[in-house]
This record gives sequence, structure tokens and C-alpha cells, in this order.
Amino acid sequence: MPTLATVRLGENDSRYAPGVDPGTVPSPLDLLDLPLTRTALAELTLLAICGGLLGAFVVLRGLAFFAHAVGTATFPAVVVADATGFSATLAGLSAAAAYACGVERAGRSVRDPGDSATGLLLVAALGGGILLASDVFESGAAVDRLLFGTAIGLNGADLALSGAAAALALAATILFGRTWAAVGFDSDAAGALGLPVRRADVLLLGSVALAAVAALPAVGALLVSSLFVVPAAVARLFARDVPALLLGSVAIAACLAVLGLYLSLWLDVPPGPAVAVLGAAAYGMCALLTGLRASTRTPAAGTSW
Amino acid sequence: MDLTDLILDPLRSGIWRRAAAEVVLLGGICGALSFWVTSFRLSYPAESLAHGLLPGLVLAALAGIPLVLGGLGGVALAAGCVALASRDPRIGADSATAVVVTGMFGLGALLALSPDAPPRLEELLFGDPLGITHTDLISALALAVVGAGALAALHRPLCAVAFDAPGAGALGLRPGGVRLALFMLLAVAVAVAVQGLGSLLVLAVLVAPAVAVRRAATNPGVAMLSGAALAAVAGLAGLYASHHLGSAAGASVALALCLAAVAGSVLPWRLRRGEARARRGRRAAA
Amino acid sequence: MTRAPAVEAHGLALGYGGEPALEGVDFEAAPGAALCVLGPNGGGKTTLFRALLGELQPLAGRVRVAGRPAYLAQTERTRLDFPVSALDVALMGSLADGRWWRPPGRSQRHAALAALGRVGLEGQASVRFGELSGGQRQRVLLARALTQDAAVLLLDEPFAGVDPASAERITAVFTELRAEGRTLLVSTHDVESARLFDLVLCLNRRQVAFGTPAQRLGREVLETTYGSDIVVLEGSGDTAVRAITVQHHEH
Repeated sequence: MPTLATVRLGENDSRYAPGVDPGTVPSPLDLLDLPLTRTALAELTLLAICGGLLGAFVVLRGLAFFAHAVGTATFPAVVVADATGFSATLAGLSAAAAYACGVERAGRSVRDPGDSATGLLLVAALGGGILLASDVFESGAAVDRLLFGTAIGLNGADLALSGAAAALALAATILFGRTWAAVGFDSDAAGALGLPVRRADVLLLGSVALAAVAALPAVGALLVSSLFVVPAAVARLFARDVPALLLGSVAIAACLAVLGLYLSLWLDVPPGPAVAVLGAAAYGMCALLTGLRASTRTPAAGTSW
Repeated sequence: MDLTDLILDPLRSGIWRRAAAEVVLLGGICGALSFWVTSFRLSYPAESLAHGLLPGLVLAALAGIPLVLGGLGGVALAAGCVALASRDPRIGADSATAVVVTGMFGLGALLALSPDAPPRLEELLFGDPLGITHTDLISALALAVVGAGALAALHRPLCAVAFDAPGAGALGLRPGGVRLALFMLLAVAVAVAVQGLGSLLVLAVLVAPAVAVRRAATNPGVAMLSGAALAAVAGLAGLYASHHLGSAAGASVALALCLAAVAGSVLPWRLRRGEARARRGRRAAA
Repeated sequence: MTRAPAVEAHGLALGYGGEPALEGVDFEAAPGAALCVLGPNGGGKTTLFRALLGELQPLAGRVRVAGRPAYLAQTERTRLDFPVSALDVALMGSLADGRWWRPPGRSQRHAALAALGRVGLEGQASVRFGELSGGQRQRVLLARALTQDAAVLLLDEPFAGVDPASAERITAVFTELRAEGRTLLVSTHDVESARLFDLVLCLNRRQVAFGTPAQRLGREVLETTYGSDIVVLEGSGDTAVRAITVQHHEH
């Protein structure tokens, strides 16, 4: 029976969820019992707050591809950091900031995910990252953790970063939420009203990039959108205005995060894939339900403030 | 070791020869297809399909059936879900695609990372040209033949729709039907090419060749042929690099293709020739 | 001897679901006629063309065109970065025969080259479409319509953004086409150029008037067609009205 003492990172038999006997159904109270799961629970709750808030604007502004791409773009940087002992946070932040600046410079890629240059950049990031991991540093199975996250490797520093990201997301939502909502609804009209569209976009891209880095340890480089797109997309199906979208998005993100963590304990998998699968299933069910219910009504506007 | 040895040494291994054949076949057909992928702005859909088919691949690996069957099943499911989700006007096609792809990719990872699964996830994500089987080679050959035939038959409609879709409609073509045919060809190509390059890197062979030859291409036929040739050469170069440097084969091939794309976009020589010709054309017109 | 009209519409109503976007359309054009379609943006010009192309089923009434019409859309809708030569574009016209899987044959190449010659661009056959000037691009698209060898040609704002030399050439081709017995339907917002046509059809979500320019282009018809968008410069009554339209740009 694997116990915490046998858990080792960086090997093929490493496990993603701590202290629970595989194959048995864990009690939900286990989440609160063990220190490691308490940390993971707190981490995912904080990420749910910032993912829910920023995700609402990501969906309104059509930045889903950016949220996904900014996580992926950090992969080679966190591989290097992981292997050399450099701060993964700083490495991830610089890669994410570089990517966000590049997108902002290019301008059009934000709303044009069909751009072949962006696709190639992501392939190069993944290919370069895996080459570094397997041949230069020989990091082995740590790659799984960097790509899909972990519930056990989390520590106080990760928690502090997620707390800062959540606080920042909250502050930014209070300060810039109205502008972001107006720009997301109709950027031309918002520009005509004298709103600083470009500055609002830069702020949103920067916030999402920062928050995505905070989410890397828990959900990994490939599944950032499980917290930054999916919950807000589910909430968008119900919400009639922006406050409802924000509240619903945070609530759904929190539910998905807790359930996902529980599922990851149960199945002994990283939390990222668990949250992603639960979120997509929730979206599918809600889309079918609301689609049946509201097929004759007009779609939810969701953009008045 | 002299140059001949550098080139001939890997060829002594049967595994390497199979990998080379696979890379040349896939590079040939996907390199030609990549011109249409970039012309019809299908990079994001191609990436979505490649990520979304992961659960199919994992299930095939767990069940021990040929991966290409799992890939085809996964790509059909992913395409169906994306098509269904993006018809919902409430959150927009991009967000809907992101939701579906996140969920399916997560499902694939969930299945592959569970403790009972054999540790093959990295192969499925990043490809393993050196693990190519005869089944994979046969499916790549079939894709090359069928794909080349389809691209030849669809050449004129693809040109007309990519150039001016409403105008093509007025000529009696159905732009939607042409797009659908291309999309289906792309889906099959993704499902087959994923054997060599993996779910995360297959986009390289479907986009990079066209980007690399974009400036040199004077017409769609030249773009497709030079894209195919360049993809095959870059793929082989990646395999040679992987052999001599001992690096991961799939990632080496993908990075070689990306490097070719960067080189093709940066190298100025063709551009100058094209501009000179354009100036001559304008002078003649004036 | 009266010949069957090349284009006719009777009691035609068109729309995209819900309220009709255009109704009460009733007109005929004989082979060799040139008909000008006048109206403001959103007045139904493009909707009528879509119905004539068979892309839009009528809500009511009927429409008939002799054969598949050739269509010249505005140049902004083409992709300038797509690598095709002027000859390639002209050759696309031969796709109208329905055999899209066959490579173009020698006779189709000759037809496309001849069409480029008629618009005065024989020397630019191998130049990339995106490298031509705006007026030259419009002439290449006209060559594509010529290659199609259609009895009816629909031309959407063919003179918009075109240099004077190209406009002159296009007008000359129009004259030749009419002499060959082909029917032209040209949409425009330029009231003055409408006077040069045989027939004029005024649309503003319904058919306002149909007839010869001399009969129909009076102050009352123009004001009904354009509403507040028109400025009548001089003249009164039904004759000698000079007018310009004020275009509102759509986003």
C-alpha cells in the first residue's frame, strides 16, 4: 500500500494524490484531514476565485485561445527551472509575460487564433520543452507533473502566489470590470465612448498571464483553460448580466475545483485533468438543459452591467 | 566519421528506415495539405482536433488495438463535439472549442495517468517515430495516396473558394461543401500523422511547411509541391539529428519543421525577386 | 419579333426569415439590355442579386434567369495574399461548367487569355493578383465573368474605387457585351451614371420604380428611393433633375 513516505517525484511510479489508498473511495473529509490535501484544497479554491473572475472576461472578450496558449508557452521555461532549481514562478512569469507582450505587439493574434505563427510557436514550445526535459536534463516523469499539475507538490510559496493572484484578480475586477465588460461587449462602441480599449486589453492579457502562472503547479501547462475558460463558459449559459456571470463563474469554478480534487484523490490522477473533465461534462449537460429550455427564447445577453 | 557515414549509418537500422519512410510519407502529404490549412485559416481547428483525439489514442493503447483506429475514432468524436458546441451562439465558437478540447484532452490525460495504465502517455503526446509499426506505415501510405488523389481532384474548387468564396458560389461551387471536404481530409491526416509526431506536435507538419515556403510560392501547385518536399527533407533532417545527438525523435522532427518555417519567413532572397517581378508588372501596366 | 426576356421577376418577395428584406419586385430585361439597379445601402440590391444567383429562395413570386449568371462582386471580398496569377483567376470562370475535378483544357486557357485581352490585361496574365492595382484587379474579375460565357452578368458596384482608365475599359467591354446580346444588371448608387442605361430599377426595401431613366428618374422617385440620403441639386418636376447621394458608411 503506497503511503506518503513512498511517494517520490520524478519517477514513473510517482503518484499525484497523497495519502489515500488507491482503489477505495475516499471520504470527502479526507480533503480536510491531511495537511497536504488542505494545502491543495486552499490552492485550488484560490485559483478558482481568480480563474472564475478573469475567466468571465476571457470568455466575454474571446480570449479562450490566449488563456490556453499562455500556459503552454511557459512549458520550456518551467522545464529548465524545474531541472536547475531556479524559481519556477519567475521562469514561468517571464515566459508568460514575453508571450503576452508578443501577442499584444502582434495585435491581431488576440482575436485571431487561426494564426499559423501562434500555432507553430506553441508546437516549438512543447517540442523544445520535451527535448530539454528528456535529453538535456533527463527529468523523466516530472514532465507529467509540469504538463498536468499535481496535488502533492504544492507548498506555501505556491499558495502565496495563488493568494496574490486571487487578490489581484479581485482588485482588477472591481477597478476595471466595467471597462472590460464594455470592451468585451463591443470594442468599437467602447472606443467611441472614450474608453481606453487598448489599455484595458493590455491589463486583461497581463492579468490572465500572471494568473495562469499561478495555476501552473496545480493544473499544469496544458490545462490552464480548465479553470480560466470552462467555468465561465458554463456560467455564461445561465447569466443574464455581468455580476451574475462573475458570481456564477466563481461558484462553478470553486465547485469544479473541489470536486476535481476529490476525484483526483479517488482515482489517483493529477487535479488538472479531473477538473477539465468535470467542467466539460458540466458544460455539456448545462448546454443541453438550457438549450432545451430556452430554444425559443433569445440567448442570454450577459453583458449589461 | 566522414559525411557518408553520417548519412548511411542510421540507414543500417530497420527501425530507423521505417521511421524515415513514415516521416517522408507523412511529410509529403501533410506538407502539401499544409498550404490549404494556412490558406483556409485552419491552424486552430487542426490543433483542436489533434488535442481532442487524445482519449481515442489512449483507449486504443489501453485496449491494444492499432493506434490509428483509436486516432480515427477520437478525431471523429472531437470533430463532432466541436461542431455541435460551436453551433451554440451563446459563448462563441472559440470558447466552445476551448471547452470541448480542454475536456477531451483532460479525459485522455485522466485515462493515461491513472495508476493502472501502462506508461505510454509521453509517446502519445510527443510521438515516437522510432516506434512505428508496419500498420502505421501502411496507414501513412494509404493516407498519402488517398490524400494526393483528393487534393488533385479538389484543386480547382479549393483555389476558387480560398481566393473568393462568394465568387466561387456564384460559379456553381458549394463553398461550404469544399470546406467540409478539406476539413475531413485534415481530420484523417491528423489521425494518421499523430502516430509519428504525437498529439501535441502533429500541428508542426500541418502548418510549418506552408509557412516555410509561403514567400517562394508563386501559385498553389508550387506551394503544395515545395511544401511537401520541404516537409520530407526537414523531417529527415530531424531524424538524422535525433540519431546523431541522441535526442527525442518526435520533438527533433517537430523542431526541425519549426526551424524551417522560421528560416523560410526570415530569409529575404525570394522576397526580393518577387518584389522585382511585381515592380516590372506595374511598370508594364503603366 | 419579341424574344423571351433574359431576366424576369414577378411579384418577387425576398428575405432571410421574418420580415421580407425586399418585396413587390416586378421587372423584365431583354437580351442585350443594360439595367441599372439603384438604391441605398440595405435597400435590397445585393439581396436581389443573391436571388438571381439562386442562393436565396423567394418568399413569394418567381424569378427566372437564362442560364447561370456571371457575378462580379466587389474586389474587397477577394484574398490578396492568395498566390494566384491574373490568368489563374480568369480561368476560374470555366468552373461554371460544373466539371470542377478536371484540370483546365487548352480551349479553356485560350478563352481565359482572350478574356484578359478584352479587359486589356493580356500582358499581365502571369502577374500575381495581389500585386495588381485596384482597377486592374476589378478588370481581372470581369475577365473571370467573361470566361464564364454567361448570357446574363450581374455586376455589383463595378466602378467603385476604380481608376478612370480601368473604368473606361470596363464601360467599353459592357458595350461589346450588349452588342453580343448579353444582358447586364449593374448595381450602383451613382444616380448620374444610371442615366446611361436602357432601364433602371429603383429599390428601397420594395420596388419603387422600373422603366427607362427618362421616364423614371424624377425627383419623387429619387426621394422615395433614397429618403434623406439624397441631395437634389437642381431642376424640378419630372425632368432635368441632378442629384447626388450621401453614402452612410456601414460598420
